[in-house]
Amino acid sequence: MSDDTLASAAPVRPDDAPGGLPAGGGRGGTWGLGWSGIRTVAVLELRQRIRSTRWVAVLGVWTAILAVLTVLIRWAIRRTFAGSIQTTDGTVDAAGALPAADVAAGRVTFGIIVFLVLSLAGLVAPALSATSINGDRQAGVLATLQTTLLTPAQIVVGKLLAAWVTALALLAAGLPFLVWVYLDGGTPLGRLLVTLGVLALTLLVVCAVGLGWSGITSRTSSSAVLTYLTVALLGPGLPLLFLLSVPLVTENERVQVRTQTDFSVSITDPSQCTVLTEVRSLTHTERSWWLLAASPYVVVADASPKPTTRPGTDDPLAIIRDGVRDARLGPAVPVEECFYDDVQDRERQRQRDALGVTWPSGLAALLALGTAFTAIAVRRLRTPTRTLPAGTRVA
Amino acid sequence: MSITARGVRRTFGDVVAVDHIDLDAPAGRVTALVGPNGSGKTTLLLVLASLLVPDAGDVRVAGFDPVTDARAVRARTGWMPDVFGTWESLTCREVLHTVADAFRIPRAAASARVDHLLEVVHLTDLADRPTQVLSRGQKQRLGLARALVNDPQVVLLDEPASGLDPRSRIELRGIVRALAAEGRTVLVSSHVLAELDEMADRAVIVARGRTVAVEELAAAAQARRTWRVRALDLASLVAALDARHTPHAPPDRDGVEVELGSDVEAAELLAELVRDGVPVVELAPAGGVLEQAYLALTEDRR
Repeated sequence: MSDDTLASAAPVRPDDAPGGLPAGGGRGGTWGLGWSGIRTVAVLELRQRIRSTRWVAVLGVWTAILAVLTVLIRWAIRRTFAGSIQTTDGTVDAAGALPAADVAAGRVTFGIIVFLVLSLAGLVAPALSATSINGDRQAGVLATLQTTLLTPAQIVVGKLLAAWVTALALLAAGLPFLVWVYLDGGTPLGRLLVTLGVLALTLLVVCAVGLGWSGITSRTSSSAVLTYLTVALLGPGLPLLFLLSVPLVTENERVQVRTQTDFSVSITDPSQCTVLTEVRSLTHTERSWWLLAASPYVVVADASPKPTTRPGTDDPLAIIRDGVRDARLGPAVPVEECFYDDVQDRERQRQRDALGVTWPSGLAALLALGTAFTAIAVRRLRTPTRTLPAGTRVA
Repeated sequence: MSITARGVRRTFGDVVAVDHIDLDAPAGRVTALVGPNGSGKTTLLLVLASLLVPDAGDVRVAGFDPVTDARAVRARTGWMPDVFGTWESLTCREVLHTVADAFRIPRAAASARVDHLLEVVHLTDLADRPTQVLSRGQKQRLGLARALVNDPQVVLLDEPASGLDPRSRIELRGIVRALAAEGRTVLVSSHVLAELDEMADRAVIVARGRTVAVEELAAAAQARRTWRVRALDLASLVAALDARHTPHAPPDRDGVEVELGSDVEAAELLAELVRDGVPVVELAPAGGVLEQAYLALTEDRR
């Protein structure tokens, strides 16, 4: 035991209060978001993550899986396209640089790899934050932070930032594969950038959801399961709900149907078509399409600029983009059953392209979800507390 | 008073952890919080550390209400929990620096403070080792240093001696006395009554969530209590005690326990025994002041 006094070493003053320590008064200690506090928490979290050897293994396995899948998918798609298009070849794309088959293959591969990265990230990202708060509580290190001048918001945002940075590291590890497929051609640069942006924001939302659940539940296994369920709801769950909602928006109604007058001959001009009024079962997807909008798959697909080379819907991103817009338009009236050329198809495509983009609202919904879960986590970290989650200690 | 608590009550569901505790801890003194397991000590300290809202009662720590002015309380308080974890992959130095950052202590001041605290708790050699290699007692010492990072006016120590080896306990006593000597308010809860006896100025004894007694340990020394006398010749000792009508228990293997009213009486007894030629080896309180008061007050323990 050293004999000198404990105060003698250094005058200790919080630098935010020049006159001394924080005075009393005001309850504004919950939502304060000073950067230094956020950084303190984020640095603490990242340090711990980096030093756990598990993290290196995760990144290694992640990269290996992506590498194997990218190579296989790219090879399979190129083989398929080489077989089917080479026969009618001789055409080149608008830029004139690459054979059409390569361009189409590149575009399809890019779309698949984007969804692959998105799906795998959805599997991995919840693990980054879903045990952050209740895990700290169990380890007895949460109260250490709560009894300092850090606000609950600083603790939560710091943890969120650290989880997001880790998730972005995973995305960065996947970047070489995206760029590789991008360099195969057929993909506009804007599509690559938009894709990366939406992927990054989706990961942020997933991290926030995990953090929220880890604040709500006291057991780490519960929060992990709930986070995975939430991600599953957003990813495949919303499109599934959309399908399940089809009976709800399907009605029998009297509509005009344009049909052929004579089914024995093939149609050559519009005069062979006639308009009748019939009772048909119509699915009004314009009432339920919003279920699709918040799915990250839809957001990334809708936000991707369309390739300018062809009007076709030949890659996964464009198919989803057009599919969702079709759903927004709802059933075409009059119902078209007189097919003499592709005028109707082109009209439909024109209508789809004329629609406003859906991704901002989808992305806004995702970000609102993330914000809500972040706010929940902050509220759960407020101290002093009146109630304790069942089975937990404070310290 | 740097800590005052009046009528504090806190329940968890239907479990009454703290029923009605009154506590005063003045600055510059070491106040012991003593009581059996489950008597509400830790819960009370959580209320004082601004982590729990009491159901009822009025609490002031360093002049502020921990419920409404939690930040003001935290800035002035150091709290060492009874059970706590450490960030296992961080080094001792990093742990303390992280806490210093969380208290917004400027970098230069923090470095000096951290070095000093590591020295005080004898962890300088381990400063740059990850905390997962620390033993339980070393972690306990790191926890103490962590509670002192913000130069607190009020220090709350919950079972600080648990897991400490004898030397560390003696050093802990020195640290705690030094904290009080600097004018800080120190509240220590512990089961090691002999330790508290030498460390504390006052004791607040709680049982079943209620304050049952407040003892000034200096005054307690003047109270009637049991002393133990040992002599080379037990027969002559007993004869001498009987001759001066000092009430005593039947002698055991090598000594006799006697009831004495105060330290003055003890001094008188010793002088007389020596004068009468009894070969006295030892005259000392049987058990600490605090231990006797504690045992007397918590006899009704289930």
